[in-house]
Amino acid sequence: MKAEKDVKRKEYYLFSPFLRIFHWIMASQIVILFVTGLLITKPMDANSTEPTFTLMSMDLVRDIHFLAAFIFTASLILRIYGFIVNKGDRLFPRVWEGHFYSETVEVALHYMLLKPHHAPFLRNPLARMSYAGLYAMVAVEILTGFAMYFMNSPFTTGGKLFGWVNTILGSEMMTHYVHHYVAWLIIVFALGHLYMVIRAEFMEGESEVSSMFSGKKILAHTPKDANELE
Amino acid sequence: MCVEVEENTACKNVKIFKEGRKLEKRESLWEAYLRRGFSRRNFLKGCVALTSLMGLSTDMLSKVVEAAETKPLPVVIWIHGHECTGCDESFIRSAAPLASDVVLTSIALEYDHLLSAACGEPFEAHLDETIQKYYGNYILAVEGAVSTKDNGVYCMSGGHTFTHLLQKAAKGAAAIIAYGSCSAYGGIQAAKPNPTGSSGIEHFVGGKTVIKVPGCPPIPEVMTGVVMHVALFGTVPPLDGDGRPKQFYGNRIHDTCYRRPFFDAGMFAENYDDAGSKAGWCLYKLGCRGPETYNSCGNIRWYQGMSYPIQSGAACIGCSNSNFWDEGPFSTRLPAYGKLGDVDKIGAGLAAATGIGVVGHAIASVIQRNNRENLLEEHEE
Repeated sequence: MKAEKDVKRKEYYLFSPFLRIFHWIMASQIVILFVTGLLITKPMDANSTEPTFTLMSMDLVRDIHFLAAFIFTASLILRIYGFIVNKGDRLFPRVWEGHFYSETVEVALHYMLLKPHHAPFLRNPLARMSYAGLYAMVAVEILTGFAMYFMNSPFTTGGKLFGWVNTILGSEMMTHYVHHYVAWLIIVFALGHLYMVIRAEFMEGESEVSSMFSGKKILAHTPKDANELE
Repeated sequence: MCVEVEENTACKNVKIFKEGRKLEKRESLWEAYLRRGFSRRNFLKGCVALTSLMGLSTDMLSKVVEAAETKPLPVVIWIHGHECTGCDESFIRSAAPLASDVVLTSIALEYDHLLSAACGEPFEAHLDETIQKYYGNYILAVEGAVSTKDNGVYCMSGGHTFTHLLQKAAKGAAAIIAYGSCSAYGGIQAAKPNPTGSSGIEHFVGGKTVIKVPGCPPIPEVMTGVVMHVALFGTVPPLDGDGRPKQFYGNRIHDTCYRRPFFDAGMFAENYDDAGSKAGWCLYKLGCRGPETYNSCGNIRWYQGMSYPIQSGAACIGCSNSNFWDEGPFSTRLPAYGKLGDVDKIGAGLAAATGIGVVGHAIASVIQRNNRENLLEEHEE
């Protein structure tokens, strides 16, 4: 392999600041939310330490969890605002376009190692599907989370806005369960996402990692959906 | 003025008394007090107790007194369905007001499966008579679930299914109170697999508002408080989205619990026999359902404020919640799935499996790419 290559690369501007800021806030807050969430469900053993002197009081852990949740929700609102004002931002894959399905199948077959390669994309359709799934899970977490949070005073605005979630799920305990179970699913998603992004960077010459910082994909190949840039 | 009123009503009362308390002549609470020879002072004291019991502010006292003086005692029909009658066991232990006072002087209890001395055909005939006579004016109190499977044969009353009795009685009811988790949500017998098809009464009363007073059993004072609210004001008390009276079910036990500071500080009992448990620390880690349960245990408590489950050292099981019977085990926060353990164990396993899968996939991907490049090179050659 040569140390220096003379390759012509093209720059594709894909991710607006709304999306990038949201992405990194989401990534950091999910870690915080997950760790504090586990601690809330199963608090650390207090018998071994003198609780008065521990920094890990339940109150503090809960406050961190709630603060992270509010930051996360606020950044999601910013993301949706960016989706409205920016033509280039997309929330969901374009499932109404016929070629989406054949392309998704092609990518899936490649990832299952049944096909040697797949056509390069700026917006990988299978990845986009998984992001839609992530948004669904995030929506469940936000709804169940606020349903539990605001129901300490059910007759305030917050309680009225989110109280119906407990009714739909049948009981508030079920809301706790759903919140906890979906949190694990998000972590499993995050692991898969991290791997697939790094894999795309190394194996397929996509600039997936750097593009989430700079917003630009600098590619030697021409992606199939290059004409979809707005 | 006061003396005058007393004399007038006293006169009327004597008449009622002589006529042997006919159904047509329904006395008010004040008249009932007079008949029994209680003083005005006693009556007012009773009204003060009632006001606070119904969760009203003391400003409302004059209205309570007015209602108690003028409103005739409400006719109550109290029926029992698919249940253990534990709610009645709770009810008869109401201390302020005494259950006996409620039954004998504060309401006109015309029909009650459990408390009535009468039985048989005359008893059932009396029910029909009461429904007819007070059609649209009586309060229907229901304990117990509706059994729906196999045409409702699992719960029969007077030769008919309980569903039949409920529908008959609900038609002419001015207000319907569902006492206990059974009539509110189906109760213990509705636990999986629910062999009798038990369900709450809500969908069997012809779309009427049901005042849900859940609990297994409900707090005695809550039971009397709700029926007295309906009786005195003739209105349904303010309800939350689920149909429960706000004044009794507006707070979580967790948010009113005297052990809450231990929760906030992270001081938890790990076992029922450890130092934390003895010191009265929070029972959260022992599966306490206080954070999900709406009830008055934390503020009214039980049996004249003597205690409540958490105070006596047992974790709350959330007995006033819909579906609490299927959300076990009560001793942990998360249900376990046999040898797999709870979701934290499964999730960690799943994450580890994902990690292993990732490594495997990465290796396979590299092999696949190398093979492809080799093939391409051969092709070019």
